[in-house]
Amino acid sequence: MRRLVSRRWFVGRGVVAAVLGRLAAVVGAEARAAKPPANPFAYDITKFRTIDPKWLHYQQVAQFKVPRSEARRVAIGPDQNLYVSAGNYVCVLNTAGQRLNEFALPSPVRCVAVAGDGLVYVSLRDHLEVLDSKGQRRASWESPNKKTWFTGLAVGDNDLFAADSGNRVVLRYDRSGKLLKRIGEKNPDRNIPGFVLPSPFLDVELHPDGLLRVNNPGRHQVLAFTVEGDMELAWGKPTMAIEGFCGCCNPIALAILPGGRIVTCEKGLPRVKVYSVRGELESVVAGPATFADNAKACDPTDCTTGGLDAVADRAGRIYVLDPVANDLRVFARRDGPTASSQAS
Amino acid sequence: MTPASPPNPPVSRRAFLRDGVRLGAMTGLGALLGLASTRSKAKPGYVWQIDPNKCVRCGNCATACVLKPSAVKCVQAYPICGYCELCTGYFVPEPNALTTAAENQVCPTAAIRRRFIEEPYYEYSIDEELCIGCGRCVEGCTRFGNGSFYLQIRHDRCLNCNECSIARVCAGDAIHRVPASQPYFIKTTAHE
Amino acid sequence: MNLAGRIALAVVIGVLAWATGARAEQRFPPPEFESDYQMPAMTTPPPRALVWQYIDVGVLAVALGVAVWLVHRKRSRTGVLVLSVLSLIYFGFYRTGCICPIGAPQNVLFGLLNPNYAVPWPVVGLFVLPVVVALFAGRAFCAGVCPHGALQDLVLLKPVQVPLWLERGLSLVPFLFLGAGLAFAATGSIFLICKLDPFVPLFRRHGPTWSLLLGAAFLLVGTVVGRPFCRFICPYGALLRLAAMVTKWRVRVTPDLCTQCKLCEQSCPFGALRQPSSGTPDPRTLPVERRRLLALLLLWPALIAVGAWIGAHLTVPASRLHPTVRLAEFYLEHKKHPKQYPIQSPEALSLLRAEQTWPELQAAALQLRHRIGLSMKLFGGWAGLVVGAGLIGLAVRRSRTDYEPDSGACLACARCFESCPQELLRRGVPIPLPTAASAAQPQSVVANLPTAAQTTNR
Repeated sequence: MRRLVSRRWFVGRGVVAAVLGRLAAVVGAEARAAKPPANPFAYDITKFRTIDPKWLHYQQVAQFKVPRSEARRVAIGPDQNLYVSAGNYVCVLNTAGQRLNEFALPSPVRCVAVAGDGLVYVSLRDHLEVLDSKGQRRASWESPNKKTWFTGLAVGDNDLFAADSGNRVVLRYDRSGKLLKRIGEKNPDRNIPGFVLPSPFLDVELHPDGLLRVNNPGRHQVLAFTVEGDMELAWGKPTMAIEGFCGCCNPIALAILPGGRIVTCEKGLPRVKVYSVRGELESVVAGPATFADNAKACDPTDCTTGGLDAVADRAGRIYVLDPVANDLRVFARRDGPTASSQAS
Repeated sequence: MTPASPPNPPVSRRAFLRDGVRLGAMTGLGALLGLASTRSKAKPGYVWQIDPNKCVRCGNCATACVLKPSAVKCVQAYPICGYCELCTGYFVPEPNALTTAAENQVCPTAAIRRRFIEEPYYEYSIDEELCIGCGRCVEGCTRFGNGSFYLQIRHDRCLNCNECSIARVCAGDAIHRVPASQPYFIKTTAHE
Repeated sequence: MNLAGRIALAVVIGVLAWATGARAEQRFPPPEFESDYQMPAMTTPPPRALVWQYIDVGVLAVALGVAVWLVHRKRSRTGVLVLSVLSLIYFGFYRTGCICPIGAPQNVLFGLLNPNYAVPWPVVGLFVLPVVVALFAGRAFCAGVCPHGALQDLVLLKPVQVPLWLERGLSLVPFLFLGAGLAFAATGSIFLICKLDPFVPLFRRHGPTWSLLLGAAFLLVGTVVGRPFCRFICPYGALLRLAAMVTKWRVRVTPDLCTQCKLCEQSCPFGALRQPSSGTPDPRTLPVERRRLLALLLLWPALIAVGAWIGAHLTVPASRLHPTVRLAEFYLEHKKHPKQYPIQSPEALSLLRAEQTWPELQAAALQLRHRIGLSMKLFGGWAGLVVGAGLIGLAVRRSRTDYEPDSGACLACARCFESCPQELLRRGVPIPLPTAASAAQPQSVVANLPTAAQTTNR
């Protein structure tokens, strides 16, 4: 009997010791791994949200809401009126924000471009339509490819340029709708690297020097092409800092100032900047603090829901469309409009 | 051998009362079962899952789960990914170089694999053994990219607790019960 | 399937295919890869198949059946011990103790009151089966099947009898805990029973520090106090106690006759053994006792009302257990005394969400507080009911003729069997009968029979 008792006693003590020892080890490990107060997994970009005042040469002079919801892109006509695509409509506003006209279309409109003779060209995701100045449909041009996703339009005297981000190409049409050229496709023989487009933000603009300006978001560059498709120059660098283009794919939209300087829009850190013709940063029009709602739009989904678009008028004022806030902001240079003609 | 009751049962009234209460209890349980059957759907089974449209990447998934490492992992929606060379879900905001060096990576456990496909595309995939579900890469991808990285509760790890400890502290109120037949949110984007 | 059905199915499939195809079209196309790169697919490991939950319930049912057989037919402590260890391994370490019957009442109530949640059948099974067994065969679940109990049983070394007043007082706690757990689960505030469970973090080998320390404390105390969690905390044990009080086949120390030998008096480490009542009560004390009982019965509703009143006043702190209410309060506090929270911390992000959705959040929080107020009043009333019932229990005399366990408190662990000479006879264990020499010293006979301390260590 006694032997049984002592063995049982020993085993019992042993079990208790083992259990308590294991517990102590686990508790000790937990206590050592205690969480610090700050979020150690924070992705911190606060320092990039503030802009050094030395760059801020523009001030906001007006702000007005777009009359229709789901505004996407803005264009400026020869009459200096603003043409805003919003939902299934194209709204024509004057520079004070008053609605002058409105064109209704069967499906959502993406881009707008207005020719010198008043014809309005719009892109409806995968094809183009030509409207007259009253909004009557004149023609419809199909895209030669499948998976077309038009995200940019620019119209000159004789040509129309449509940027198709789905097929990573800029299409050149003549004014009758005939496809003349495919610009920007990857071609090692012509030293064209091709557009890198993670998201649908390919924009094309006509520049006073006769070249096209196209953004290459995946490479954080602005490229210049001849209308024949030769690449002339490229500038831009990837950085979160103010000098370059932030994130993984920026700039997303371009505009050309009368003197030839280039306005760029970025998403992620919503910024609108002005660069010289050679690609040196000249000024910041507005930074993330101005577009607070736009930055917050990224929070739940992804940053392709944000985006900005800009145009410039003859006087050098810059109109920035915020699709999230559904409004237009007007910026003018602080030191007067004449300063915009100073070459840089 | 039946468990015999004592030769002289103390009070048969007590036994009668006991039987009555027992009958009442059984009836009550039966009613409960009946009520439960009207509620239970033909397809039972609920599991916890994160709604990526509500997730705000607060980092609690890594610390609040009862498991260590957390049952929450980052997943990659390849059809949405841009395959960018400068992936903001992979690289810190200001990397020294676009290399796999630890100081350039957003992931604290180096759980993202970066693989060169062809110029200029790189494939980014998650090593679930290393991922702790902190959401840092998700924040980078969502803020600057296409949002192909997102957090999901992995059901080969999740214990399916009665009450998800992460759900209680989720800053975006993103964790809810979903049917076990559709346990994941498969992300597709619809841009215009 | 007839023609109409087939056409309908084809139409549905066609629409679905078109819809999913259209959705795929809406996505911006990924890059065109020139090499033969194949885009991998996201893996979607499925959750544990539902059939396994039913298997768990099946294992529970089998274990309960075996436990009942071991306690009532085989009457074997070793058998119950072995079964409890097996249950500890399966339900404890393999299934990590979750989902368990102890927490199941919360699920059932939450499911009944919440239209968005239907209680899964396996959980209903987990809830109902041990109660049904308790209604007929006593708390066989507690001794043979519950992993929490099995763990405490293994660490019990030297049981100490808890003083009666403490035992009576603490035995009200499981009922209060059950009420609180149900009150909070009903409003979706928190699954309190799960949160405060001391042993599940040990099974998982991970948990908050306080929880692991609590588990360690219970095990430490459990070395000298028999099954402290089971007797003084377990809310499901409260339900089982109620059910077992009216059980059909009670656990008895003796297999047949009780010879009043008192050898089993010290054999129960859980204080469940009751002595036979001492003859007829003294007629002089009866009127006093009757008056006391009457007074308590009349006091009972007042206790319930006081409890409900106290419960109503606990609404505000109790409602803070609900995440929605807590966020609303946090936001209001932040508006009054703004503080800087670290960038992208959960606090900062929750405040942002509260800011963006304040009207809905406020409305939801107010509605929740109203509901929680009702449930706290009910809980307070329940607490008053429980305290009153405890007091009345003290004032009620129950007549017994034999040494037997209180059927509500008995955990059916089968320890007391070995101390009964009738049982030893049944088993064929030779009992050292008193001889002429040892008749002079009866203690030696008693000393040679197994005692509680020895039966416990088996």
